[in-house]
Amino acid sequence: MIKYEEYSDEQVKDIKKSDFEFIQRDEKVYDKKFETKPIGYFKDAMIRFAKNRVNVVATLILVTLILLSVFVPILTTKNYDVLETQLTYLPPRVPLLERLGILDGSRYLEDQTVDRATIGTIEGYPELGLPLNRDPEFIDMDTLKNYSIPCSDLDDRCYGGEVRMSLGNTTFLTMRSSTVFEFDPEFDPTVTVTIDDIFAEDNTFVNVMISLDGGLTFELLGTMDEVGTEEFEVFHPMFLHEDVIESYVYLQLNSDLSNGWVHFLSVTVDDTSSDDVIRHDQGFSLHSYTVTEGNGRRSRINGELLFASFKWDPYRAAFGERYESAFSAERFYALIEENQDKCGLVEGDMSVAPTAENPWVFAEGCSVTRVVGRTEIVIGPGGSQHYSYSLYQDFMISRGYSSIPYFFFGTTQGGRDLFALTWVGLRTSLTIGIIVSFINITVGIIYGSISGYYGGKVDLLMERFSEVISRIPWLVTLSIFMALIGPGALTLILVLIVSGWIGVSSVTRTQFYRYKGREYVLASRTLGAKDSRLIFRHILPNGIGTIITASVLMIPMVMFTEAALSYLGFGIGHGQSFRVLGIELSGVSVGVLLSDGRTEMMTRPYLTLYPAIIISILMITFNMFGNALRDAFNPSLRGSE
Amino acid sequence: MIRYTMIRVVWIFLILVTTLSINFVILKSAPEYPPTQPEDRDMWYARQVSDGFYTERLITDEAEIERVRADEHDPIQNSFYRDEGDRIRVFEPVPISIQYFTWVSNIVTDWHWGYSTRVQPNTEVFEVLSSRIPVTLRLNLVALVFYIPIGFGLGIWAALKKNSLADNVISLSVMIFISLPSFVVMLFLVLIFGYTLGWLPNQWPPSYASDLNQFLGIILPVLGLSFGSIAGLTRTTRAELTEVLTSEFLLLARTKGLTRQQSVIRHAMRNSMVPLVPGIIASFVGLLSGSVIIEQIYTIPGTGRIFIRALAQNNLDYNLLLGISAFYTIIGLFAVLLVDLSYGVVDPRIRMGAKK
Repeated sequence: MIKYEEYSDEQVKDIKKSDFEFIQRDEKVYDKKFETKPIGYFKDAMIRFAKNRVNVVATLILVTLILLSVFVPILTTKNYDVLETQLTYLPPRVPLLERLGILDGSRYLEDQTVDRATIGTIEGYPELGLPLNRDPEFIDMDTLKNYSIPCSDLDDRCYGGEVRMSLGNTTFLTMRSSTVFEFDPEFDPTVTVTIDDIFAEDNTFVNVMISLDGGLTFELLGTMDEVGTEEFEVFHPMFLHEDVIESYVYLQLNSDLSNGWVHFLSVTVDDTSSDDVIRHDQGFSLHSYTVTEGNGRRSRINGELLFASFKWDPYRAAFGERYESAFSAERFYALIEENQDKCGLVEGDMSVAPTAENPWVFAEGCSVTRVVGRTEIVIGPGGSQHYSYSLYQDFMISRGYSSIPYFFFGTTQGGRDLFALTWVGLRTSLTIGIIVSFINITVGIIYGSISGYYGGKVDLLMERFSEVISRIPWLVTLSIFMALIGPGALTLILVLIVSGWIGVSSVTRTQFYRYKGREYVLASRTLGAKDSRLIFRHILPNGIGTIITASVLMIPMVMFTEAALSYLGFGIGHGQSFRVLGIELSGVSVGVLLSDGRTEMMTRPYLTLYPAIIISILMITFNMFGNALRDAFNPSLRGSE
Repeated sequence: MIRYTMIRVVWIFLILVTTLSINFVILKSAPEYPPTQPEDRDMWYARQVSDGFYTERLITDEAEIERVRADEHDPIQNSFYRDEGDRIRVFEPVPISIQYFTWVSNIVTDWHWGYSTRVQPNTEVFEVLSSRIPVTLRLNLVALVFYIPIGFGLGIWAALKKNSLADNVISLSVMIFISLPSFVVMLFLVLIFGYTLGWLPNQWPPSYASDLNQFLGIILPVLGLSFGSIAGLTRTTRAELTEVLTSEFLLLARTKGLTRQQSVIRHAMRNSMVPLVPGIIASFVGLLSGSVIIEQIYTIPGTGRIFIRALAQNNLDYNLLLGISAFYTIIGLFAVLLVDLSYGVVDPRIRMGAKK
């Protein structure tokens, strides 16, 4: 056997016929196996899909999110459907991060009114006061600050300041004290008035008076016309009539012209019967004097509100002891019975009814800590006894937590765990997305198949029909279904379906136009295949890849619209549920959660932030996944990357 | 061209009439929600009678009055019985077919869309809307004017610097913003700029606010509306321009001596415009329906917000809903018409409606 390469060009010219021989004379030729593995349509798509790292990561995130939305609601130990008012609006708390001081479940409270009585009672902070209605146990004392802001409120929290009286178009204005005083001559009663400021012209002065007949005639105690404190004796002539006089104290501002004014600081009524003054009015109590006569204005000036700001631990506050006033005996004994090993009696006697002085105290670890009272026993029909206990419950143990739980995303207004709720909402959104997409794709494929396969007049009519449907704004469909059905899962799904199938149908139609003229279809038809066989066995399978990948993006699109509609309040909402394949699903979707958070955006942004972040990640990854899938399955892009 | 335009106009008019008719018939066959205040309600029924949607009838027969009072009669749906002591005044709706023709003739002759029942009882629907349409339109037009140059600019930049860092950053942002629902973007914007930083107002400034505040107040809703549109426009521009830039006629343009700038501006841009211009017109409809939710978030007194109010459960205001639906449908279909016609204007090679 001579090989061609061994000859030069000249030699080739003169090869003799005898030099030629058949290659295969001595051997059989078999089909050779491919040395590389064949790459099919799907495998090729997979390879190209996996080539893009970003898309793979996005897909992994997407899968994680979907898995979380399936498993978190099943596995979570925290409450996400029962209303739990005690746990309302707990801020986010995350383990590990809390050690860094972020997301540690504490809240910084500002503008909390200070209870003035507590000033000086806190150990180590002699000049600070505690806020009202907050248990000091859960306040971080190092962060406690008190500060004053000016106020003119008609409120007893507004402290100090003066009461201003100013005339309007008259020459006098009278106000009287809020209580009636008993002036007993035996004890030399006095009325002391302090004026902080007064209009110095137009003969402006203040009369301090009492009245024996309820304000018809007055007895003048004295007059003031300058700044200062003056004490007036409730004096003699009046006591001729009676031993004890009962009267209000009247303060009358007089001025020649109508622009006089006076600022009162305080009014004190005193006598020698005891060391304490009878009454000292200033600030709010002075302001609560009633105007009885004359025309003008009375207002409060230079008042102060004392506020506290501090770091507050709402978790410990919420999960601490809680007082229950009517805990039925049946429930109580069932509870004790059930937790016999934990609920040993430490103090008190169970045979004697408990009181606040002699409570039943239970061991640590029992959900009931102390029982402090029992109601009267009511004998019901059939001689049954009914009564209930007042007791203190350890809220944490009573709700089945062994330690204070971590609510990663905080809790909602209803005291539900936002973390679990977000996944529940995502599950709802995904379910609706899948249901609607399934219906849309099915309808779209059927409609598009018929339209594309038959063509001609059928196609024309069907096209015109789908055009009309697609031109109806969603507002119109929404209003129609709202009027007919009202808000709920059905309305939501119908609104999403009405025009949702049109995209799929037009893709399907194009695919049919592409394949229906091919030779293999013609061949099948000549062999006598029916229309249905041609459609479902020959044409549709060829186009289905394109149709399905084009439809993957429908799920995020549907979720997009669902979230928007739920946000507007046309979704399913709290407390409702819907059934899919026998599974009861919560009506809470991410849109509903965002809508709930809307009113609290200023004070509790996390209610909006977390669900928004989760839905954003889902939408982004879903779109990336859908696009990557579409590109991977698109044969025209093969080898272009 | 004229023939084509005429056909399109007629066709679009048909769609409009169909949509509104379906809307009218269905809404009017649902339970009616008349105004809640007695005096408003009486006035509303009187007007319905004078407008020809209801008939008025008096029951004076004692036996029948008793039956009505004992609730043993069988009233027509949406009828209303007013007890006036010795007689009962009955308002009964005329058949829907007659209501429909009355409604159409009222609109055609007087531009009279009926009276609102719940949102602003006894105010003409067009009057309720006329103060709100300008707000919505202004917002959307500002958004349109704002987003087009930015979208174009970013798209062109990304296409010219294909596969550079800038292109990648733009493409990634496009991916993100195209996926996010506009109301989520809006919520983030309000959270960040309205509440946390406090730079911009966290809701729509009232009409008496100063010009500066009015201006500051329009920034967030415009941003919220346009992020998605910018992303969409950037993506299409980039895709179209990339395709055109690799085409042969552009190579020819360069070989015959045009600079890159000249070839891009005169040849590439013009050709990539063809699918873009109709897209922009169509996007206005998208903006408009997207602004419903933005208006709700930012408490903007526009048509979208009044739509949501008119659609409150058990508080539906059908006449107002019909008016708003008509507004949105007309604008939507008008945009469709413009889109159809714009193809021929942007690209003279396309002769709309030409015979093959």
